[in-house]
Amino acid sequence: MALLDVRNLKKVYTTRFGKHPVQALSNVTFAVEEGEFVAIMGESGSGKTTLLNILGTLDKPTSGEVLLEGKRLTDIPEKALAAFRREQLGFVFQEFNLLDTFTIRDNIFLPLVLAGKSYKEMTGRLEPIVRTLAIGHLLDKFPYEVSGGQKQKTAVARALITHPRLILADEPTGALDSRSSDELLELFGEINRQGQTILMVTHSVKAASHANRVLFIKDGEVFHQIYRGLRTRLEFYQNISDTLTVIATGGGVHA
Amino acid sequence: MRKGFYARLALNNIRKNAETYFPYVLASSATVMMFYDMLFLLFSREVRGLSDSDMLRTVLSLGSVVTGFFAFILLLYINSFVIKRRKKEFGLFNILGMEKRHIARIMLLETVIVGLLCLVLGLAAGVLFSKAALLLFLNILKVKPSFGFEVPAEAAAMTVLFFGAVFLLNLLYNAFQVYCSRPVELLKAGSVGEKEPRTNWLIALVGAAALGSGYYIAITTESPLAVVGLFFVAVLLVIAGTYGLFTAGSIAILKMLRKNKKLYYRPNPFIAVSGMIYRLKQNAAGLASICILSTAVIIMLSSTVSLYVGLEDVLRTQYIREISVSAYDATDEQIRELETAVAETVEREGLAVRNPVAMRYVSEMALQDGNSFAGIRTAGYSFRNAALLMFMTAEEYNRLEGGNMRLAEGEAMVYVIKGKIPGDTMDLNGHSLRIRGYLDAFKTAEQFLVGVNRLLAQNYVVITANEQDLFRAHESLIGEKEGYTYNYLFDTGAGREAQVGLVSALKDRLKGLRVDGYAAGREESRQVFLSVYGVLFFLGLFLGTLFILGTVLIIYYKQISEGYDDKARFAIMRKVGLSRDEVKKAIRFQVLSVFFLPLVMAVVHIAAAFPAVSRLLAILNLTNVPLYALCTALTILVFAVCYALIYILTARTYYRIVRA
Repeated sequence: MALLDVRNLKKVYTTRFGKHPVQALSNVTFAVEEGEFVAIMGESGSGKTTLLNILGTLDKPTSGEVLLEGKRLTDIPEKALAAFRREQLGFVFQEFNLLDTFTIRDNIFLPLVLAGKSYKEMTGRLEPIVRTLAIGHLLDKFPYEVSGGQKQKTAVARALITHPRLILADEPTGALDSRSSDELLELFGEINRQGQTILMVTHSVKAASHANRVLFIKDGEVFHQIYRGLRTRLEFYQNISDTLTVIATGGGVHA
Repeated sequence: MRKGFYARLALNNIRKNAETYFPYVLASSATVMMFYDMLFLLFSREVRGLSDSDMLRTVLSLGSVVTGFFAFILLLYINSFVIKRRKKEFGLFNILGMEKRHIARIMLLETVIVGLLCLVLGLAAGVLFSKAALLLFLNILKVKPSFGFEVPAEAAAMTVLFFGAVFLLNLLYNAFQVYCSRPVELLKAGSVGEKEPRTNWLIALVGAAALGSGYYIAITTESPLAVVGLFFVAVLLVIAGTYGLFTAGSIAILKMLRKNKKLYYRPNPFIAVSGMIYRLKQNAAGLASICILSTAVIIMLSSTVSLYVGLEDVLRTQYIREISVSAYDATDEQIRELETAVAETVEREGLAVRNPVAMRYVSEMALQDGNSFAGIRTAGYSFRNAALLMFMTAEEYNRLEGGNMRLAEGEAMVYVIKGKIPGDTMDLNGHSLRIRGYLDAFKTAEQFLVGVNRLLAQNYVVITANEQDLFRAHESLIGEKEGYTYNYLFDTGAGREAQVGLVSALKDRLKGLRVDGYAAGREESRQVFLSVYGVLFFLGLFLGTLFILGTVLIIYYKQISEGYDDKARFAIMRKVGLSRDEVKKAIRFQVLSVFFLPLVMAVVHIAAAFPAVSRLLAILNLTNVPLYALCTALTILVFAVCYALIYILTARTYYRIVRA
């Protein structure tokens, strides 16, 4: 059984004043196996973020279903949704979404505090994560005192500390310089090798080339997918880039 | 065409910013209305025509000044909120190609439109409400209204001029804000990552010390006259302490809470404590102001209400009999002359003397230091060790109390009302009296001095062997010769009018005597007291309402601006896994803590001020402490209900903003 199963997902937005409904997702189907690192690519407006929001239970699909370990997300009652999000999913956003009023340590602790975990357990969980991410020296600082890369590492630590089944990353390198981006992507690879399943939405070819598999979304549908297999990262980069070119120039690869 | 464009844009802006503008218009109109009505009372023919209009108008003009001052502060404060919210909008205009002078022009139009609207609405409401205000005022003073409707031109003109100036000042402030800022900053205003505030232990400790000493003074100062001077000091200390504790103390406490891991790392404290550290950094001064304002409102209302309601008590304390005749520096012969004059006058008025009390004595304020007393006329003034000495002969004592006391020359019997004299002699500026003993009871003196004896911490009746001894002691104390003080008090059982008539007849008759005599009466004083306490009561109600209005608005704007600040915070928490209900709970916890902090603190202030204020009321002859306690409790209750209502209303707005 796949860890994540997405079946015939459809999402239609009706704006408050607009008469025309906007279709963000028309028919998305794919699956993610345990331990995979999947990147989803697509141009702006292709429905990437809508997809991620639905996977993250922040939004509900118009039709279709999402199963995490065989459990249908739409079946989870509204009340249990927050706890589900907290315990099963980890989020990494483009804009970091750290709280200015908390230290780096407290930002990482946030989901655990909300889950009512004891202080002892929190510190116990923090230790290995701090070692992997090398952020021990930052813990007592405030977000405004650290760099963008360090902020994103904090966000990753916050996502990891709940031991989630799946990490959802939305353009995690979008607000970072190239050095920080490389470092973060290496880190994603490292975490993935330790067994963490990651689903990342991006339109950076470089970011996608760190994944094991890349899904291409166009006009609200999964248009194409490629596996890295045994290729080197550079070969995979070339491969993704070629695919994008074909898609952009209206290629008939899929046809 | 161009001109029309700006006007339309200005109008549009006002409409679009209704959420921030509406309360501003409401507040301005309300303050305009109240200011006008205060001036209306001051200038109305009706009040000018009252018997003690000078006193009333003095108090009313004081009230107008306070109203104006408060309106000024309030409108400036609210305007700064409004403009802060709109900086982004102006930044956008600027980026879209409007020059700053164009923005200033729009703002000018907006301010003029809103200002005119407020003036028109406020004045219209003021004129409509003025008759009601006048009727309320006259009703409190128990005077029947006589004139019809009027609009004093002075009142209207002063209102327009004053508020015109306030709106102009706001305009200048707003223009200054736009001119001084750069467009990028304008766009970003309000979203800058803030530094965590440092704990300022010095201010926190000084604040705590100031508050503590203010409380100490208010609670421990026994003598009401000493309270008069010290109360003001205590008020200043408490104000300073409140600001110190709210700004620095609160942050120190929150940071200490944060150090306690077990307590801090739980959902509600975690969100609230971290948020409040920042909240208080920005709002501490505002919250401290709300706290002080609330304290002022409650104390003002409760004391004026209890004075007004306790008027009857006051009159009975002041006048233990219906009529009081007194004379100073009088000889025996003069006293006899006075007694005859009073008896004749009472008879001529067709009345009879009942329950008379007559007493001759000398009384003197002195500074007590152990067992030695120095006359206050020679030694200067200080309330701390002031003592009231009342000298009386043994003969007078025996006459009053039906006793059989005999004293040797240089001996004295002492009746202690308050205080303590160590040793068995008392030294009066070098003249010494042997204290033979102390009296257990002195009914007449107790009754007679009931109003006076609460004012000082030391109060003694000294009974001397004879007249020579009495005057020798008194002369030594004051350094000159002076005669008896004589009081003659009696009831008549007559009606109110007759009593007032008797007092004025007595006054006339006393003028013809050689002695310095004075007549007064309970009924005659009633109208004077009614005017004084009535106008204070009215002012208390009026300013209380105004202050509550101010508190409401400050809180409303605080909630709105905090809502916008907290919006991003709660959005992130939702994403990280906080449910809607949990967000709601966390918000409520935080808002409640911030919101009710000033009220709780105000109640603590009031509790600490209670002893001091009840002593101050004693000076005004209100000794009914339970009445004052009741009035305080009721005022706090009414205020708390208003406060809770504001909370419910504003919390809803806040929650809507945060959730959006």
